Amino acid sequence: MTVPPNRPPTKSRLVLLVALLVVLAALPIVMTVFPDQTWVTNSRLFSFTQMFMLITLTSNWNLTGGFTGYVDFGHAVFFGIGAYGTGIFMNEAWPFWPSMLAGAVLAAVFALIIGYPTLRLKGPYFSIAMLGMFVAMREIVRVAKPLTGGGVGLTLPPYLNRPLFYYVTFFLAVLVVGIMWWIRRSEFGATLIAIREDEVGAEMRGINTTVNKIAAFVLAGFLTGIVGGLWAYQNTFIDPDGVFFPSRTVELVMMAMLGGLGTVAGPVVGATTIYWMRDVVWANLAEWHLFAEGMLMILIVLYAPQGIMGKLGDRSGTSLLRVWRNPLRRSALEEVPEDEVSV
Amino acid sequence: MSAVTPLLEGRGVTKRFGGLEAVKAVDFKVMPNEIVGLIGPNGSGKTTLFDCLSRVQAIDEGSVHFQGIDITRLKPHQVAHMGMSRTFQVIRVYRKLTLLENMQVSRQWRGENLWSQMRPSHKDVEERSRDLINFLRLEHLTNEPAGTLSGGQRRLLELGMALMPDPELILLDEAASGINPTLVEEIKDRIKTLNQEQGKAFLVVEHDMHFISDLCNRVYVLNYGEKLAEGTPAEVMENEAVIEAYFGS
Amino acid sequence: MDLFLQALINGVMLGGFYAAMMLGFSVIWGVMGVINLAHGEMIMVGAYLSWLLNEHVGMDPFASLLIVMPVMFIIGYVLQLILINRVVDRPILVSLLVTFGLSIAISNLVNVIFSADPRLTDTALEGAWSVGNVTFPVTKTAIMGVALLIMTSLWLFLQKTRTGKSIRAAAQNKQAARIVGIDINKIYALTFGICIAITGAAGAIISPTQAIFPFMGVPLTLRAFTITALAGLGSIPGALFGGIVLGIVESMIGVYVSGIGTNLAIIASFVLLVVILITRPQGLFGGLRPIEEPVQL
Repeated sequence: MTVPPNRPPTKSRLVLLVALLVVLAALPIVMTVFPDQTWVTNSRLFSFTQMFMLITLTSNWNLTGGFTGYVDFGHAVFFGIGAYGTGIFMNEAWPFWPSMLAGAVLAAVFALIIGYPTLRLKGPYFSIAMLGMFVAMREIVRVAKPLTGGGVGLTLPPYLNRPLFYYVTFFLAVLVVGIMWWIRRSEFGATLIAIREDEVGAEMRGINTTVNKIAAFVLAGFLTGIVGGLWAYQNTFIDPDGVFFPSRTVELVMMAMLGGLGTVAGPVVGATTIYWMRDVVWANLAEWHLFAEGMLMILIVLYAPQGIMGKLGDRSGTSLLRVWRNPLRRSALEEVPEDEVSV
Repeated sequence: MSAVTPLLEGRGVTKRFGGLEAVKAVDFKVMPNEIVGLIGPNGSGKTTLFDCLSRVQAIDEGSVHFQGIDITRLKPHQVAHMGMSRTFQVIRVYRKLTLLENMQVSRQWRGENLWSQMRPSHKDVEERSRDLINFLRLEHLTNEPAGTLSGGQRRLLELGMALMPDPELILLDEAASGINPTLVEEIKDRIKTLNQEQGKAFLVVEHDMHFISDLCNRVYVLNYGEKLAEGTPAEVMENEAVIEAYFGS
Repeated sequence: MDLFLQALINGVMLGGFYAAMMLGFSVIWGVMGVINLAHGEMIMVGAYLSWLLNEHVGMDPFASLLIVMPVMFIIGYVLQLILINRVVDRPILVSLLVTFGLSIAISNLVNVIFSADPRLTDTALEGAWSVGNVTFPVTKTAIMGVALLIMTSLWLFLQKTRTGKSIRAAAQNKQAARIVGIDINKIYALTFGICIAITGAAGAIISPTQAIFPFMGVPLTLRAFTITALAGLGSIPGALFGGIVLGIVESMIGVYVSGIGTNLAIIASFVLLVVILITRPQGLFGGLRPIEEPVQL
């Protein structure tokens, strides 16, 4: 195993984690067995479902953004492709699961196609190119009316089953976080981090950075496409503005940053925190919450770039500033400023 | 004596940056098992030459052959796969990865596919990593992030990373700069061992003349991108043109 | 042929406007090394200011420039002092994230205050002139006129005035500028203020022809980015060139592809952006300084 620089979790921490998972898994059962209590309701399950989806999405984003260092401002485009893929296929009378898978595969293929040109771009240019991709896709969807229903939107066969969606998204979240944990401990994870830390050096040491970057990008895209499909089915209705809503793509960046870029627990912590803030703190402020989130993003970037896990001492992650300040990330093929030329 | 193919041979290597010729028609060679030095005043083109050899800079004119194969147009990772490693003037280690991870990630990647990378790790890679870390006497830091190491320790780590793919030739760019004399002796000692016991060749850029004369069989001197002189360390140090280049007339 | 000519004329006029619209973005980037992703929101705010004046005081949007520009200048100046100044010396992506957050904050703030209902202003300038079979709507011509005025004024300011030269010096080499006694912080605040004023003005003059709503900013920011990539940082001739290229592309698509033209135009501008970034990232004109190399290995 590669050994990330933190001490392995203590036994008590592991027990706590397992207990938490068991409790979460049991909630729907609690609801059936004790129908009169008011804490676990369908609405609560729905709420948690959204949270699990956020955790999954943020973890996926973290693979490209946190581990590999390519900060994707348009990652939600894969969510949208997954959602629309699912919607389109279900409207062709496909059952849900194949539709969702097809949508995710579409997202992965799209990632593969755009990965080649965009992953060659550095830092801010990659970020903005992906943002543009997100905006462009919204318009493409709007324009492809016969396929996507255009601006009017698409309706999926309705299916109401809160507990089922709860379990599926819960399972997905656990699976994805598990995958990220596994990746972090594998050579693939160490390679991605090497690429983040020093892409040129990695290339010089024999790592095929292109293949590795694209693999991470495609995997993240695929997993995000799955969430898109699930969301679409649960929402029953999708339209370009609802699916490709700008804050969807921004919030991923923010949650990952808040939690701690490049750590495994970071996305979980970040997504959960934001989620509870929305549910509890900002529920009263209703329309102001997006404004508040914009301000929060500014504060995080300026004052806590290493995120919560970073502050808690997780040494395996990184902070926003490190990702882009590191002079070694500069391409070796560019002109080096005069005062740094060394021949 | 039969003619032996040079391990590394450059013919007429030229590199321009706009109007400046940083490397001008340089011929050189490194034979198997040799330790060759490359010296010259600041700005003479040494690191640029290294960048050309490891292929992060395009070579404008001339050619470079490694083990008889023309590498002039290859990509950096392809050259690495062929058996040539290097270290860097500005230390490049992966600061957020542990020493062990730094080593594991620097292994020989040729012929691997992505799938095999997803496995936890290869036992033999881990063993080799640990062996090399021990060889470099850094075992106590195995699980520390590389960013916490001192400069000298990082230079040793870089050497280790360059050794992981079991290369034939190692380009060392100022491996002794900025570290204390004891560690410099360490590094020299490790290089000698690798050369004598494992037959590895080295091309060494260095400013420290003791380092050069102690280690190298032959030395090339560059000045303003051109080859000024070549010979044994002793010959080169007595060469008038070389003295003038360093100290003025 | 007439259709083509009309589309071309429309494209040029649109392009002239685009050029003025994105200058603020480009100059801020060139001078301060800050990518202002809240650029579109500044346009939006200028437009809303103009609408407020139009709605409550009956002021014509073109006349409102007299109020909008100073107000936006103050907003920009203050914003620079309290926020942007903190990201100026940091890696460029920090500015990206901070301004992205700002863009979310501002657009949602406006949404809360004014709701998402689209607004439009009324202007006294109506009708159109005809030359042969080509029409020049008066409003659009006025927009183009104001745009050219803005560009020329900025150019004169940067080239001929002392402050303008200081700004250009600061863009080239901050350290050297400091050494010759230029107060960098003041220059930055001034530059930002001026750029926001221009950007707000663009929003004001567009308000009669385009529905304004809180989330109109992002596509505009992306257009600014595309034109900057075409033009080079802070280059006014480049901006005109890039703006017109984009304007013509969008106009042609809008006219010749019926029904979905306008949406395709957005896609086209984005594709153009990626193509430029990959093929000729330093832009076609020099500008204040070269764009940092966007492509690696």
